[in-house]
Formats: sequence, structure tokens, C-alpha cells
Amino acid sequence: MVQLVGSLRKELADSLSTCKVLVVGAGGIGCELLKNLVLTGFKNIEVIDLDTIDVSNLNRQFLFQKKHVGKSKAQVAKESALQFCPSASITAYHDSITNPDYNVEFFRKFMLVMNALDNRAARNHVNRMCLAADIPLIESGSAGYLGQVTVIKKGLTECYECQPKPAQKTFPGCTIRNTPSEPIHCIVWAKYLFNQLFGEEDADQEVSPDTADPEAAWNPEDTAARAAVSEKDGDIKRVSTKVWARSTGYDPIKLFNKLFKDDIMYLLTMDKLWKKRKAPTPLDWQQLEVLVNSEAPASGLKDQKVLDVWGYCQMFQDSVETLSSQLQEKGDDAELVWDKDDPPAMDFVTAAANLRMHVFSMNMKSRFDVKSMAGNIIPAIATTNAVIAGLIVLEGLKILSGEMETCRTVFLNKCPNLRKKLLVPCVLDPPSANCYVCVSKPEVTVKLNVQKTTVLSLQDRILKERFGMVAPDVQIEDGKGTILISSEEGETEANNNKFLSDFGIRNGSRLQSDDFLQDYTLLVNVLHTEELERDVEFEVIGEAPDKAPPPQSNQEEVNSITNGNKDSAQPSTSSKAEDDDLMIVDSDEEEVAASNSAAVATGTKRKYSETGESSAKRPRTDQSDAADDEDDIVALD
Amino acid sequence: MAATKDSKEQKYDRQLRLWGDHGQEALENAHVCLINATATGTEILKNLVLPGIGAFTIVDGHIVSGEDAGNNFFLSSDSIGKNRAQAATELLQELNSDVSGNFVEESPDKLLDNDPEFFHRFTIVIGVQLPESTCLRLGMVLWSASVPFLICKAYGLIGYMRLMVQEHTVIESHPDNALEDLRLDRPFDEFKSHIKSYNLSIMDKKDHSHTPWVIIVAKYLERWLSEHDGQPPKNYKEKEAFRQIIREGILKNENGGLEDEENFEEAIKNVNTALNPTKVPTSVEDLFNSEQCNNITAQSSSFWVMLRAVKEFVYNEGSGSLPVRGSIPDMIADSQKFINLQNVYREKAMQDAAAVSKHVESLLQSVGKPPESISEKDIKLFCKNSSFLRVVRCRSLAEEYSVDSINKDEISGLDCCCFRFFSYLI
Repeated sequence: MVQLVGSLRKELADSLSTCKVLVVGAGGIGCELLKNLVLTGFKNIEVIDLDTIDVSNLNRQFLFQKKHVGKSKAQVAKESALQFCPSASITAYHDSITNPDYNVEFFRKFMLVMNALDNRAARNHVNRMCLAADIPLIESGSAGYLGQVTVIKKGLTECYECQPKPAQKTFPGCTIRNTPSEPIHCIVWAKYLFNQLFGEEDADQEVSPDTADPEAAWNPEDTAARAAVSEKDGDIKRVSTKVWARSTGYDPIKLFNKLFKDDIMYLLTMDKLWKKRKAPTPLDWQQLEVLVNSEAPASGLKDQKVLDVWGYCQMFQDSVETLSSQLQEKGDDAELVWDKDDPPAMDFVTAAANLRMHVFSMNMKSRFDVKSMAGNIIPAIATTNAVIAGLIVLEGLKILSGEMETCRTVFLNKCPNLRKKLLVPCVLDPPSANCYVCVSKPEVTVKLNVQKTTVLSLQDRILKERFGMVAPDVQIEDGKGTILISSEEGETEANNNKFLSDFGIRNGSRLQSDDFLQDYTLLVNVLHTEELERDVEFEVIGEAPDKAPPPQSNQEEVNSITNGNKDSAQPSTSSKAEDDDLMIVDSDEEEVAASNSAAVATGTKRKYSETGESSAKRPRTDQSDAADDEDDIVALD
Repeated sequence: MAATKDSKEQKYDRQLRLWGDHGQEALENAHVCLINATATGTEILKNLVLPGIGAFTIVDGHIVSGEDAGNNFFLSSDSIGKNRAQAATELLQELNSDVSGNFVEESPDKLLDNDPEFFHRFTIVIGVQLPESTCLRLGMVLWSASVPFLICKAYGLIGYMRLMVQEHTVIESHPDNALEDLRLDRPFDEFKSHIKSYNLSIMDKKDHSHTPWVIIVAKYLERWLSEHDGQPPKNYKEKEAFRQIIREGILKNENGGLEDEENFEEAIKNVNTALNPTKVPTSVEDLFNSEQCNNITAQSSSFWVMLRAVKEFVYNEGSGSLPVRGSIPDMIADSQKFINLQNVYREKAMQDAAAVSKHVESLLQSVGKPPESISEKDIKLFCKNSSFLRVVRCRSLAEEYSVDSINKDEISGLDCCCFRFFSYLI
């Protein structure tokens, strides 16, 4: 007779009370998970999250209350959980999991690591740490009604990075600066504008007309004539947008007229751009002011209303005034950080994006919709997170019972599928032989132009952003062991702005890139090319190029699931401006097109568990079978 | 008031993006009854309190035991010995101050003995770990009062739930792959004259490439119909020929190549769905034929009154079609052209809703109810969703348990028909 403690076998119950587990993330899934862990009998729990509590968390992160807004998620989650279950021992870290303090030794302390994250960068990192420490990892994600849980064990299963994820979509600079054709282009522009005016200036986030647009291809002799059209613009060019804005005292009307009148008139002079496109129409503050009709504001949720042009003009004025006074209060050289949940920052982006949409003859969007796209917001509810957290514990119990072979990846559907299942378990795949992370000697081939790629962009764009390293050291395999990049501060900064060719790197060169913290070495083979598409810095060989956007139909549905994504270049358990829960679907960078690439997530294949599921191919019937369609979107990544 | 609305919008932002403000409104108007604050029960209630139901009432005659405190997150060791309904209400209430929490320290059986009508007030009743006899008694009370009843049981790592409701009507069913309602196959007069206002052959390049695809398809369809005895393209071959005709309408550049006209590409892409014949979906047709629709009484709910009014509309003003939905998809067009087109559909939708409203009025009058008992806003929403209306019906528990043909052993096992609704065993 098996001895039971509650619902568990005695040996299992005993091991729960002694083993140490790590929960990465104390957001939507993290809160539910902590509750489940203490109730199941886990006694030694460590939880880490760098985020603080926001009002928009309270609809589901039940360990937090209004009075906790602004406090550390990890700390408050620990305190709340202990109130309910004082016998547990919980350690909280208000920190980023990528901090070098959490090294392989730290990970080895645990029997089990459970991810409750919201961004790809942190997931990649924890994946590598668990591979390096050889600790089983349970990975999870949720988006709206959908969710997924999977188990990762070195050598036995696919790792988080075995399946290539859809590339993070960015927009060509000239689309953003000169020829926006979709609302998302205007929203990205407005977010850049926020940083140019109030935040950290970034040369990659220019907002003024791009005179180097190859499509405009004008003659140099015309340049003078164009400069004459808008001599103000000529002036502005020489100083940064921020300096200029400051010199006007952040006068909203002057800013408005530069952005929506002068810059647009300047764009109009690049007439080649408007041969096939509808030309933009400049706006003039003074003219708009005359036309104002004072209508009573409509009822209903104000966020979901689309205002008229003057409404956005006023929103622009108000938000510029608020933000500039915030900036002033912070003193010289202060910078604001854009946050979708900060009302004036969100108002500013809503107003600027809509005014630009209007200038380019697009239908304007409500603040609610702009927020979705600008913040890449994933809808989230307690119910889904509760189900997912429950599944995490069930997988955890199997691992602790030594029944790794019974572990599954489980998908939560929106509606029961054709087999009437809401939860669909699938067999775990073995590691991919082509993975650039979990094979014994990882290697990749990258196509780039060695004369145009700087050492800094190799480090930031390729090794950190694309290959998920935190602090890479790079050595050229040239027989001399030349150090190209050192993770020690100050050692190789002088190399940053030099090109790869300056170091003798050419077609066929091999770069050994090492991340000490992740205990991860990646050999990068360089394939030199001069034929990359516009605005593409590099390509990884052997991966599918960007997929075409999904069909228009059902786009709204797709958007609502994919928009949100907390990914930012900064790995974190929950990056600052972003939300809590996870990303299941695809994650794209903040600027990602709402509509793009999500529905074609690559990691969608799934195999049915032998138990009760026979066919690997699921019949697709009529279009009313919505649940099935959505399955395909759910791909943990 | 505005301030509370704003803060609610902030707090509920992530879920409003899932179920919208109507969904939220429905949630906030709900009063949920939980019978038995077990671990399963409080977990369910937690997931309802967080997103902001209007109110909950816990009915529980039990005293908190040590076991309860051990497996229920919303009961602590301090609550041992207290009434379970009260103890759980206190902790669940802390989760959301917008929710009103109530408790009744009595067993459901006692309430059923003394005041069965107590349960009529709820939007839904959730019964957890109830014995079969209580389920049957309560099931009967709730069935006749048309209150949905959700039965849940959990044993260790397995569990089950079963929903019972005589009839649940859904206006906004949020279909995933709804076809647009464009009426290209049966254009209404206002749309016809709007199409006439366009002349693709004399437009300049900019206007030509910013004409909405709906207009383009409508224009070429007119031509096709006149050349094909009024028969639209039906099969693949004809549709392909129709696409080719549209393709030929794309402007040529000076070298004879095709201009880049995305609106025409959009038109070609949409041919298939745009030519779908406008008709009343069979699911709605079935509802039209149901007893509740044809027999409107003073007791009929507003759903059935409005459905009947829509039916009247279809057979009269609508000439066989449901009211125009009034929304159009996003498409490539300049703002003015898009707005003009949108207005044509919107105004027609308003006209249709007004006609339906007249029918509602006379139906209400015929059963002696005031016309304002159903609001214009509700009628508009109903018309907008008229192709997606749904009615969910279940079998009553009593009926299910009395069926002799079912093997009793099977019922007592976990494999009974409850599982037709949901079952999640992993």
C-alpha cells in the first residue's frame, strides 16, 4: 500500500519539504506559482524579479494590492505568501537574473528551476544557465486565454533555443522617417520622437526626414533648392532635436509646426517619393485653431474613442507641457523613460502618432489601440495564469519523482479542441542537432559586410541581441588569438567604432565568442557579403528569412495575442516599461509590427502524447473551429 | 466618477484587451454565489474577484478545520474554528475593493429547506463538493429560475465540472473568423449610388490607387453581371476570370508595366470572401424557427423579443437579409474615401436598426409592455451581432440522472455525460 501525504506519495512529499527550487519572475504566473508551491508542500523557495508593482498588475497578480504599487514584486510576493503560509522559507531577490551574482554555482543549488518570465532575452539566459548547471527547467508562458508549459533537461529534451524563433521585426528607417504607410510606422516614429525630445537620444531613432533615402535619389544640385524651401530645417539639422526643442523652451506650438508642417513640407520636396504614393498633407497649428468647433466630449470609455485632429493637437500640447516640466524638475541632463502606463508619455505618443497618421492620410486610432501597439501589450487574466502555474507544479512533481520520461509540453487552448480537450499534452522532442546553444560545440554562420559592420554592432546587435549573450568575450581565430571584445570594462572600448575588416576579419574568418557567466562558447563563422538588403545589418545562415505577414483576415485576433511583448534589449525578469506575464506567441522587439510574423511562429509543431492521442496531424475542418486555429499560434518562445 | 473610471481602466487594462468593455460590464453586473469555500471554491472565486465581478456570496455551513487551513490559500491557521464562509470572505475581499463580498453561515440544504428563492438572485451559482442529493435539489430550483449552475468536484489530482443551464442566450459571441457584411451580391440603393459616384476610368493616378477595394470589386462585379445574365462568378474558374478582369484594371506606367496599386491587389485577394452570398446563417434560421421566437409573451426575455423583431425585419424590409452590420474592414484608401464608404454602411445599419426597433415596439405593445423596456442601444447591438447569435442549452441534472438507459456504474464513474462539457485530465 502506497503511503500518502495529502495527494502525494510519502517519499515525494518528503523530498518536497527538503528540496530547494527557484522561481524566476514574480508576475502573473509567478504569483500563482508561489501559492501553488507553498500549498503543495515546497518549503525552500527562492524568487527573483527586478520589476516593481504597477496598477495594471492588480487584476491578476493577487499577492499584490494597491498599497504595494511601486514596491519590489519579489519582496511583496514573498511577504504575502508567507502571511498565508508562515512555515515556508522564501528568499526574495529584487534583481535581474542576468546579474553575474547568479552564476552557474548559484543555479546548482536548486533541484528545479521554474521560469515565469515575460521576455525572450531572460528566457534565453535562464535556459543557458540551466544547461550549464545541468538543472531541469520548467518553462512557461501565457497570453490571454492561451498558455503553455514545457520541460527542458540538458541532453534529453529540446532546449528553449533549439527551435529558431521568428526574427525580431524592425522597420526600415526610411519607412519610419519618410514614407509611413501603416499606423504602426507612425507609432514607432512617435516613440522615437519621445526619446529624441525627452529621453535618451539614439542615432538609430532619427525622426526627421531622411535625405539619404535611396528611393528619393535626388540630384545633389537640388539640395540647395530644398534647403531653401525650409531654411529652419537646415538650422535644426546642425543641432540635435533635443537641443533645439530645449532652445524653444519646449514650446508645443513650435514643436508642432516643425514636426507636422515644416518637416512634412520638406518631405514633399522629395517628389520622387510621392509619384506613386499619396503625398502627405502638412498641418498648421494656427489654421487648425481657427477651425475648432467645440463639441461636447462624447460619452463612453474615453480611451477607446478616436478624437478629431484638434483633439490630438490639444493632447499633444498638454502632454508636451507636462513632460517638459517633468524634465525640468529632474534637472539638467535628465532623461525620461517612456512607459506605456505613464499617462503623459502615453498621451504624447498617442497624439504624435495620430497627427502623423492624419498627415499621411491614415485612419486615426484610439488611445487604447495605440497603447496596444506601442506597448506590445499582451492581454492577461488570472485564470490562465492559474491553470499554467498548476501545470508547472504537476510537471515539477514528475521531475522530482524521477519520472522525467512522463513529462510533457502542455498547451492550454481557448476552447476545447476537436477531441474536446482544453489542455493538450504533447511529447517532448529530443535536442535539436542544429541548435546553436545546447550542442556540444555550438557554431553559426553569419553573413555580413566586414567593411561596414563595427565591433560594437557585432557585440550589441549580433552577439547580445541575436545570440542572447550577456557579456561576450571575442577572440579572432587568426593564429594569434587577437582579442576583439573583452567583457572587462575599459579593455577593448577603443575597438568599438572600428570595422571588422580593420582587424583582418574577412570572408571565412572564425570568431570565438565566449560568455563566461553562461558558460557558453559560440564559434561564429563570418561570411562576407556586400549584398544585404537595405537596413539589414546581418543574416544568420540556415534560418528562415522573415515570413510574409499573415493574411488580413482575423488580424485583430492575431494582433491581440502577439502585440504584447516585453522584449527589450535589456534582459530582465520583467523589463521595466513592460508588463508582467509571458510571451507565448512570438516575441518581437518592442517596435514590432503588430500584425507581423506572429501567426507563423516556428515552434508550432507538436506531437501528440501517446496517451490517448493517436494522430500527429490534426484534421482541419471548417473555419469555425477557432480553437484549432489558435493552437498554431501558441508556441512558447 | 470619471476618476474611478480612469483607475478602473488602468487596473483592468490587460483584461479589457481580451473581453472589451461590454465583457467587463457583464462581469461587473454579476453576483456570483459560491457554495463551500474549499480550496477549489476559493480558487474559482479568486479568479472572478480579481477581474472585478460586482459581488459574491459564499454559502458555507462548515467550520474551518486544520486541513482546510493547510490546503486553502484563503484560510489561515487563525481561522481554524471560525465559520468557513466568513473566514474566506474576509481574505477574498482583500483582493479587490471594487467587489462586494458577502457570506451566509448556513448549509445549502438548510437554505433550500427554508428559503429556496434565496438562490434566484444570483447570476450564477457554483457548487463545490456537494453531495448528489443537494445537487439535484438545488439543480431543480436553479433550473426553473434559469440561473446557471456550475458543479465542481476535485479529488487529489483529478476533478470534474459540469454546467447546467436551461437556456443561455449570447448576443456578442465574438466569432473568430467572421466574414464581413458588405452586401456586394445584393447592394442596397445607397451603396449603389455611392458606387456610381466613382468613375475609375477618369481618375488620376493618386485617386485610382486610393479607391477602396470594396468599390473596385463592386464596379467590376456590375460589369460582370451585365455580361453574364446577372449571374455572379461562382466556381473557381469564374472567380479566377473575374480576378483577371480586375487585374486588367490596374493602371499601366509609361513602359507598359503595371503600376503598384495595392488597393487592386487587395481587391483581387478579397474576391473570394467578398462574393460570398449574403444569407441568414442556418444557426440563426434555426433560432427563428424555435418556439421561444414564435411565441412571444410578457415573460419572453428581451433576447427573444429582439430576435423575433429581426425575423420580422428579414421577412419584410430586409427582403430576406439580416440588418446590415455597418462596419467595414480596414483597407487601403485615403481617409476621405474610407470615411465616405464607412458612412454609407453605417447609415444603412442605423436605418435597419430603426426598422427593427419599430418591430420591437409593436411586439412589446402586443404583450402589454412599455416600448422603452428594451433600449435603442441594445437593439443596435443586437442587430450588429445578428449573424452570430447563439443559444446554449443543457440537459437538467434530474433528466440526466433519471435516464434508465444509462448504465448506473458509468454514472458513478467519471465517464458520465458531464464530460461532454469539459474534462481535463492530464
